[in-house]
Amino acid sequence: MAVKRKKSNTGDMIVPCGKEDSNSTEKKSNGKEHLLPSMIKNKEKRSAVHAQLKHQKKLEKRKKAKAREADEKRALEIGEEPPPRKIPRTIENTREFDETICKPDDEELFAGNDGDEFSSILKHESTSKILITTCRFNSTRGPAFISELLSVIPNAHYYKRGTYDLKKIVEYATNKDFTSIIVVHTNRREPDALLVIGLPDGPTAHFKLSKLVLRKDIKNHGNPTSHQPELVLTNFTTRLGHRIGRLIQSLFPQDPNFRGRQVVTFHNQRDFIFFRHHRYIFESKESKQSDSKATKGKDTMDEKSAQEKTVARLQECGPRFTLKLISLQQGTFDTKGGEYEWVHKPEMDTSRRRFFL
Amino acid sequence: MPRTTTVECPGCPPIRVLTFDVLGLVKVVEARAKQGGVPKVVERWGEPDTSRHVLAASINDSKFDPLLAVARKSGVTEVLNPINGDLRGLVPSVCQSDVQPEDDAIVGLHLFKKQISDSSSSSGNIVCSKVDGSENYALFGGKGVEANVWDLDKCTKIWTAKSPPKNSLGIFTPTWFTSATFISKDDHRKFVTGTNNHQVRLYDISAQRRPVMSFDFRETTIKAVAEDLDGQTVYIGNGSGDLASVDMRTGIQYCQHVLT
Repeated sequence: MAVKRKKSNTGDMIVPCGKEDSNSTEKKSNGKEHLLPSMIKNKEKRSAVHAQLKHQKKLEKRKKAKAREADEKRALEIGEEPPPRKIPRTIENTREFDETICKPDDEELFAGNDGDEFSSILKHESTSKILITTCRFNSTRGPAFISELLSVIPNAHYYKRGTYDLKKIVEYATNKDFTSIIVVHTNRREPDALLVIGLPDGPTAHFKLSKLVLRKDIKNHGNPTSHQPELVLTNFTTRLGHRIGRLIQSLFPQDPNFRGRQVVTFHNQRDFIFFRHHRYIFESKESKQSDSKATKGKDTMDEKSAQEKTVARLQECGPRFTLKLISLQQGTFDTKGGEYEWVHKPEMDTSRRRFFL
Repeated sequence: MPRTTTVECPGCPPIRVLTFDVLGLVKVVEARAKQGGVPKVVERWGEPDTSRHVLAASINDSKFDPLLAVARKSGVTEVLNPINGDLRGLVPSVCQSDVQPEDDAIVGLHLFKKQISDSSSSSGNIVCSKVDGSENYALFGGKGVEANVWDLDKCTKIWTAKSPPKNSLGIFTPTWFTSATFISKDDHRKFVTGTNNHQVRLYDISAQRRPVMSFDFRETTIKAVAEDLDGQTVYIGNGSGDLASVDMRTGIQYCQHVLT
């Protein structure tokens, strides 16, 4: 009974509001101040009006989409050009103007690259040798993650942390000719930060690690081999992003083994760096003919259906995680006395369309 | 990444700044408009080359013969004309890379020689040094080295600082001065230093050996301290990219710029 009463109440309320809306559609187009749901103080009425507005918007959107599709189909049938597709507005499209974005003809950038700390590895003058270690207390997922990292990064060695000071570890590693150190930091039995220190006096990058999925938790995962993987770095546009890209590049050997068909991807989107490790294989696939929708006299369609297409199939192997840069410090690990090239401060998050990498 | 900056006295353009960077370039940045217009890079001298990495610079801004000395990583010190960047002379320098050449080229050389003897005698590394306006006194400080003031004519140490007493927790922070400057060009007795422990201290030779005033600035090491022309304000910069200007009489911060 109570439910029925509620329904009738809302039914009564919707009707007058609906009438108002139809009268005030013109006023609405001028300005939405006439009847906003937020102006109604009564929660039941307000939620009802809001639900009705959303429903209307959904219907309009569906109508527009259908009209667009009909236009396109009609244009294709006639043989004209279909109307151009509109580009959706995304946060990446509307990113704030950043003056640090690398330009392709910046000679200072190239000169800087020639002289920076990674240039000796990236110019094939020396090979990378990585030391992986952990924080002092390491448990549960930490060791599993490290063993997977060892299989992904070639020429990586794991040493137990013990109670050594990190600055001393940096010294030992420089003496033994390592080119970088990776420290996996664990918090509450879960790896949550990655510290990459370049050697001998390279920068120290501190990343926050999240969304870690180990190999055994991935369905239909593949097993990596010992071939050297190819490296794909995408969307590192600004100067800082470029520097981080080179830092990541210096961790891997510069001569990939294409026969191994393995690829490691670091994709940057909205300041989050996504790490994926895949094995790929090229296959040629014959595309099927689409008889049901094709009309007669469409030569182009028939030709396409007879061709073969080569596609690349991917199989994910290895861990999957995301990184976010917290700070980049010049020189080896020295939080108190070091100069920071970039450190994230909460005051920097001024807008949702501002990114630094 | 810019390493050292020297500001010239405002002449024709309101503010003219020379910056030096890791690639060995010298750029002139000017702000044309009266009330803080957007600064633009007006000229650029030199080719980008990391072996010419600029370590320190100093300017002698006299009216008729301005000189700018630039010390590069390759061990060469160049003397340039700060108006148009012509090379005036080259001084191959013998000593290590921490040194800062001072006002006059001749005095600079003099200081170089002294630097070597100093660092061999004292037990720490000298990181920062400054010569005062009349070029008679010099101030040194470093890691493990307390702030000292030397008389250049007699080449003797006339004053050493004493570190502040242990703080309330009983912790003693080791001395590590990262930057220093005299507070005004005429007075050689007062100077301001910045430490690795994010502290800024004001010392007065004529008063006492402990710092007269000291305050904390944010959390990272103080990398640069510079005095203003009026003899009261001091600009400080730290390792995280924050700048502030402080009035040394009262210790009040005028304004702060946090790098975002």
